[in-house]
Amino acid sequence: MKRMFSSITDGRGFDLVLVGVPFTFLLALSGLPLLYNILMSFQEVDMFSLGSVVRPFVGFKNYVDLFTQPETMSILRNTIVFVVGSITGQFIVGFALALFFWINFPGASWLRGLFLVSWVMPGLVVGAIWNWILSGDFGVLNFLLQQTGLMSGNIFWRSDPNFSLWAVILANIWLGTSFNMILLATGLAAIPTDLYEAAEMDGANAWQRFWTITLPMMRSTIGAIIALGLIFTLQQFDLFAAITDGGPNNSSNVAQYWAWDLSFRQYDFGKGATISVIMTVFVMFAATVYVRSTRHEVRG
Amino acid sequence: MTHQIELSAVNKYYGAYHALKDIDLSIRKGSFVALVGPSGCGKSTLLRSLAGLETISSGDLVIAGKRMNGVPPRKRDLAMVFQSYALYPHMTVEQNLTYSLKINGVGKAERRRAAADVAAITGLSNLLHRYPRELSGGQRQRVAMSRAIIRNPQAFLFDEPLSNLDAALRVHMRKEIRALHDRLGATSVYVTHDQVEAMTMADHVVVMRNGIIEQQGKPLDLYDRPSNRFVAGFIGSPAMNFIPARSTPDGRALVLDLAEPQTIPFDSPLPAERALIVGIRPEHLTLAPADTAGFKVDVGTVETTGAVTFITTATTPEIVIALNGRSVLVTGETIRLTFSGHHVHLFDAGTEQRLT
Repeated sequence: MKRMFSSITDGRGFDLVLVGVPFTFLLALSGLPLLYNILMSFQEVDMFSLGSVVRPFVGFKNYVDLFTQPETMSILRNTIVFVVGSITGQFIVGFALALFFWINFPGASWLRGLFLVSWVMPGLVVGAIWNWILSGDFGVLNFLLQQTGLMSGNIFWRSDPNFSLWAVILANIWLGTSFNMILLATGLAAIPTDLYEAAEMDGANAWQRFWTITLPMMRSTIGAIIALGLIFTLQQFDLFAAITDGGPNNSSNVAQYWAWDLSFRQYDFGKGATISVIMTVFVMFAATVYVRSTRHEVRG
Repeated sequence: MTHQIELSAVNKYYGAYHALKDIDLSIRKGSFVALVGPSGCGKSTLLRSLAGLETISSGDLVIAGKRMNGVPPRKRDLAMVFQSYALYPHMTVEQNLTYSLKINGVGKAERRRAAADVAAITGLSNLLHRYPRELSGGQRQRVAMSRAIIRNPQAFLFDEPLSNLDAALRVHMRKEIRALHDRLGATSVYVTHDQVEAMTMADHVVVMRNGIIEQQGKPLDLYDRPSNRFVAGFIGSPAMNFIPARSTPDGRALVLDLAEPQTIPFDSPLPAERALIVGIRPEHLTLAPADTAGFKVDVGTVETTGAVTFITTATTPEIVIALNGRSVLVTGETIRLTFSGHHVHLFDAGTEQRLT
């Protein structure tokens, strides 16, 4: 006991304490729930057995049942469309804005700061605002599209199964763009200016400099932001709750929203947990990409 | 004589700050020109203006017979070696070397051959597939040089390329750069704050201060006939001694303003009763034989390098004397110094300009 105490005071055990605190924290609040979730996906769980850990073991029954359900494939497809569409949109708009503010005109930093407002807003508020924008009868988006002559009739974004998923993607792009912009702006700022000067002396025009200097130098930032984007879009829940509720007829439903629906509306906790496990696999893949891309950072 | 680069009445303003003031400079084809001066003197601004990385506010800039004022850097056909080397970190040495060729649409086989040729000259042949992060400082420096050489440009611009190297390597690279310059028959403009680099490498030295050219010419001309006190103090190491003085009414002697005024006869006629600054290089001061005229000083410190002994006097201002060989002088001793008239540089005490 005395030795343990002195190992803390003399600093030699201090490193263990420093590691131990976050480790305990992660284990209690992330590790155990994760394991519990995996356990539940192999059990039959209902309202009455929710309180106990020992429940009927059903093997892969939840997984098999899930994939025989007719809506599963379309929901997984929706999830992929949502993730790819959101990340692509957020990245392209975010990169364009980052490059725009990189020019550093007067007031650039102020304006860039204002863009962060979208990131600060709660998803439910963003959803409510986009409900108005997307509204079929009086929405601003329909008004703009008609005034510019891009279409003639009203699109009922939220209730038309062809558009409902895109309505949420649109809102999510708006929500995530500023985060992309800030990270990409940091990446741009980290590229030494003399590289551009050297490339300019070597005869490269602006377009060539972008492809041969900017993009390769941003590789790790871009890898990181796409991995983080995958994690964030797979977490996106509020917008679905606020805009379409996954409807109509699951046309805008995605895995994360469905997992919540199964667990907490239909009380089929086993299947909800099963979807979460499948998603965890995808997120772990993204996390691996993220860790690898930050480890391979190019240093001068 | 053909001039490769010509600047006339070039001015550069950053807002209200006047960075370059009426610069006139002609650089002969094949010459090695050093721009030298203390930090903030405008030498780097001048080089970057040549490169096109800065735009000049007024005046004319002509490179190889073409007016280049508004021409972007990529169309000036100049190659620059940066202080930081500015190697592309995501490219191998070979890709770094051939970047400009690739941009200009040179085929892959020809690029490889060009890289191999240049690498053979600069000794990088077995490093072509390394990344810059895997190279030492000296090797990076060579890559930066090779990247410029492969272009065969109108002129090479060097922006303090040796300042990140250690002393021994710096001396070595100095010779190597000069040898490369001669071998390629190139025109080079070299910015440095180190006057020794400028003196040893260049054919033509341009000394700058506060945005103006104080003096330009051959290295030894600057050394022998500095046109003002600044150039006199800047060129040469250890620096020239400056002693405030006044000429006698008959103009035949100087009264040196040391702790106590000391009169020393001067063989050529002086303007009468004038406040002067006497400049005399450390190697031109000698110990006065007993029967000749001289002035008395107390020895402060004695430092010897073996070949040369430097004596710093305990006077105000301090005087440094460089004596060949070793010396038996000790601190506190009183010695008499003398100099010959033609080694003395006289500057006006007010304007600090050279007198005749």
